[in-house]
Amino acid sequence: MNRPDATAVAAAIRSGALRAVDHARATLDAIDTANPGLNAYHEVFHESALEAAAAIDALIAAGRDPGPLAGVCVAVKDNIATTVGQTTCSSRMLEGYRSPFDATVVTRLRAAGAVIVGKTNMDEFAMGSSSETCAWGVVRNPHDPSRTPGGSSGGSAAAMAAGLCDLSLGSDTGGSIRQPAAFCGIVGLKPTYGRISRWGLVAFGSSLDQIGPFATTVRDVALAYGVMAGVDAHDSTSAAMPVDDWQSTPPTDAGALRVGVPSQYLRNNDPAVTEALDRALGLLRAAGATIVDVDLPMTDHGISTYYVIAPAEASSNLARFDGIRYGHRAAQRAGEGLEDLYARSRSEGFGAEVQRRIMLGTYVLSSGYYDAYYDRALRIRRLIKQEFDTAFARCDVILGPTAPTAAFTIGGVTDPMQMYMNDVYTVNTNIAGIAGISLPGGVDRSSGHALPVGLHLQAPAFAESRLLRVSELLERLLSA
Amino acid sequence: MPRMATTQTPEITSTRLIIGLEIHIELATRTKMFTRAPNVAHPSRYDSAPNTLVDPLVMALPGALPVMNRRAVEMSMKVGLALGCSIARRCRWDRKNYYYPDLPKGYQISQYDRPLCTDGAWELAGSGRRIGIIRAHLEEDTGKLGHELPGGLDYAGSLVDLNRAGTPLLEVVTAPDFTTADEVVQFAQELRDLCRYLRVTEGIMQKGHMRFEPNVNLALTLDDGREVRTPVVEVKNLNSFRSLKGAIEHEAIRQVEAWQADGRVMGRGMKATRGWDDVRLVTVLQREKEDAHDYRYFPDPDLVWVEVDEAWLARVREELVELPGSRAQRYVGPWGLARKDADQLLAEPDLSDFFEACVAAAGGAPAAAAAIAKLLLNVGMKHANERQKPLHLAGITPAQVAGLMALRDEGTVNAGSADALFGMLCDSDDEPRAAAERSGMVIVRDDRALDAWVDAALAANAQAADDLRAGKMAAMGRIMGHVMKSSGGTVDAKTVQARVMERVGKGA
Repeated sequence: MNRPDATAVAAAIRSGALRAVDHARATLDAIDTANPGLNAYHEVFHESALEAAAAIDALIAAGRDPGPLAGVCVAVKDNIATTVGQTTCSSRMLEGYRSPFDATVVTRLRAAGAVIVGKTNMDEFAMGSSSETCAWGVVRNPHDPSRTPGGSSGGSAAAMAAGLCDLSLGSDTGGSIRQPAAFCGIVGLKPTYGRISRWGLVAFGSSLDQIGPFATTVRDVALAYGVMAGVDAHDSTSAAMPVDDWQSTPPTDAGALRVGVPSQYLRNNDPAVTEALDRALGLLRAAGATIVDVDLPMTDHGISTYYVIAPAEASSNLARFDGIRYGHRAAQRAGEGLEDLYARSRSEGFGAEVQRRIMLGTYVLSSGYYDAYYDRALRIRRLIKQEFDTAFARCDVILGPTAPTAAFTIGGVTDPMQMYMNDVYTVNTNIAGIAGISLPGGVDRSSGHALPVGLHLQAPAFAESRLLRVSELLERLLSA
Repeated sequence: MPRMATTQTPEITSTRLIIGLEIHIELATRTKMFTRAPNVAHPSRYDSAPNTLVDPLVMALPGALPVMNRRAVEMSMKVGLALGCSIARRCRWDRKNYYYPDLPKGYQISQYDRPLCTDGAWELAGSGRRIGIIRAHLEEDTGKLGHELPGGLDYAGSLVDLNRAGTPLLEVVTAPDFTTADEVVQFAQELRDLCRYLRVTEGIMQKGHMRFEPNVNLALTLDDGREVRTPVVEVKNLNSFRSLKGAIEHEAIRQVEAWQADGRVMGRGMKATRGWDDVRLVTVLQREKEDAHDYRYFPDPDLVWVEVDEAWLARVREELVELPGSRAQRYVGPWGLARKDADQLLAEPDLSDFFEACVAAAGGAPAAAAAIAKLLLNVGMKHANERQKPLHLAGITPAQVAGLMALRDEGTVNAGSADALFGMLCDSDDEPRAAAERSGMVIVRDDRALDAWVDAALAANAQAADDLRAGKMAAMGRIMGHVMKSSGGTVDAKTVQARVMERVGKGA
């Protein structure tokens, strides 16, 4: 786990001090050794990774600019399309599926010199908070293999935390980057909705989904974010807002910083989580920051709103997996019609949680229920946005815990509702479409293991530079 | 089951048809509604092999996203404006969810409660009857299912062709304002013409560029004074004017018989869907109840709102052209064309445009128009057909046509030469006068030369000369033929005739 961060790796490779091929080979060796115990990767691209690394070395030898991510080894969540390997979303439905196109983020990362080393396991179709719904087996937390790395981007978080890549990609629909970052003790950024193109991200909840990076340092997530962010003609919902270089924003002046803390974020947390938050607040206050009480009463409605909007969109987004053109198709039985083919292909291809959400989403969109559920959820969504607007008029960032607990044990949470509550602090970021980041904030030793605890910072839409600068400050204060 | 013949059964004293029409128009954009894959409804792609006009979005591959084709929206705005509709300043896209193998995404992107065009009206030519347009909205077409392999061999399973999937489809919905099948057909034809003139489709019915779905029922007046209405029937997917007319006329009879048999009247959940059997010429029941489907419409989160600002609307307004109805009035009115000629010119938007360009090149005087029309239809069409091209692409330019007309009007060339000259100009960029001179087509005004040709002709055809002297004018043809031949056609026929009569001593 003692790897230099991606920024340092890129600098070493760009300067010629480290060969990209050697670095890639070392990374692949580390994966081969550690992955069987973690199941972070579903697929490792030994050949294409070394080829890409050799190409970077060739560019450098030729005196050409290999890009800001030269030779940086990146792990990609398996719901992001890559022309190398499969794109399965950890679902039997897409077993063996190969995408003929790369996601925009993958194209941009490659163009910046990144080396894609493999695809990581996840909750099936990103539906889960523990990576236990993965069709290819559970993912284990590097800090305690009996525990989950969180989810849905558990594989990417575990790979990052275990030093099996320099950067990794996740997707966050309700907390799927930030909660695993917290559970694995790394940094995870969920940018503003529309900041990063969704072209090539297999849709779950289209109005909530956003791709983001995992890294061990704030400067690394900033580096990856800078490469991936910006408008894309392939995604109508990508924002035409210019992406400013976060370093062109001056470092945060702690004396002028207003940190909002909602009272709603202070209840029901494990003692270690409360302790970590208190410590962070103490450090910020000592550095001169003003702690502001803000009120986010809609926090408690986030999960209910989310579990109407996300499944509704998912029920429609996942309709394309019908066994007709690609993906799992049930063996044909005599006398069966088209409806049976659909029903059996989907029943066999999708796991229980995915089926539960498709049914939930289908129900809330049904005629007669639309107004009571979906339309009402949209109205609450507007209220949640307004609530954040009001809060951000009084503070620069909002601080709280990423999750109420540290990583739980595999199989430890069996009630779906209890599992859903993991995202209580993170879903509203997606519902409001604003930016959020999880930073390692402390350690929970109550179980005998040293389990990371995450701190969650939120900033207004398109204020990533501010969010990253404050994160950098907090990172420095916490490490001092 | 025999109908109970009781004295209480009221008799029908009169019936009135009530018809509304939904029309699907495939827009001939270069690319599809939400992706850059080529559009099968564009003339350059009509005959594409199955499943060649596809890409990740058309195939609904995981991770593919839709991006709106602005041109399709503009075409829809043009049709909407031509139909007198209001254009929404903001409209959005909804998903209509259902499963079918020709629908790759499992939903169709459409406009449910915020359509682009609303509240228009269309006046039928002649009768002036006003047909309300409730709305016109954009959506995407589905693929096609077939059971035939390319080349026509039967296939036991189902085959999916996704070439049509994602083609922009404009759905126009009229109010139930029609009372006869003929009115519906007239409207359908006028709408087709309108769309062709606006260049949003070539309107080839056999290719499914337009598909009709009439909603039909009857108001029955009974001898006890009551009026009852039969259940509404929607006839799906009619792709010819003949089937549109046939389906409505069949429903007009069938619904009377159905009411007499079961007494069912219009009401909630009573709407049925029927198809048209083109062989038996009857409608066939497809689905009994309208609410069998729940499409779970909701706003498509992959697409943003369509914002129509004044500048965009103004640009589209500028693209609007004069519609055929108005052109027809101008042609037969101030321009003095025969109705038949006007109709022939208006049958093709390109021909009508070419004709008007010729009239403009000739100075735009209404008086010239009728003669130009005759030239184009009688002479021009022949040369175009010989070249197997439409007239506007035959090679002659409006300026050349105008020049040719001028030569003819001033008597520089005769009718026969004008015909030949038209053909020559189709194949060259020459200025008409220069071409006529170079080809020796300019009429010879030299009396001595003329007399020599006439005398030679009379000498060579003594019998014909005698006949003329005897007043048998039919003999003129032989003489004329001879003169035309020896002069190479460069004489004016009237002048020659007068000269001949003089020479045979019958001159005026």
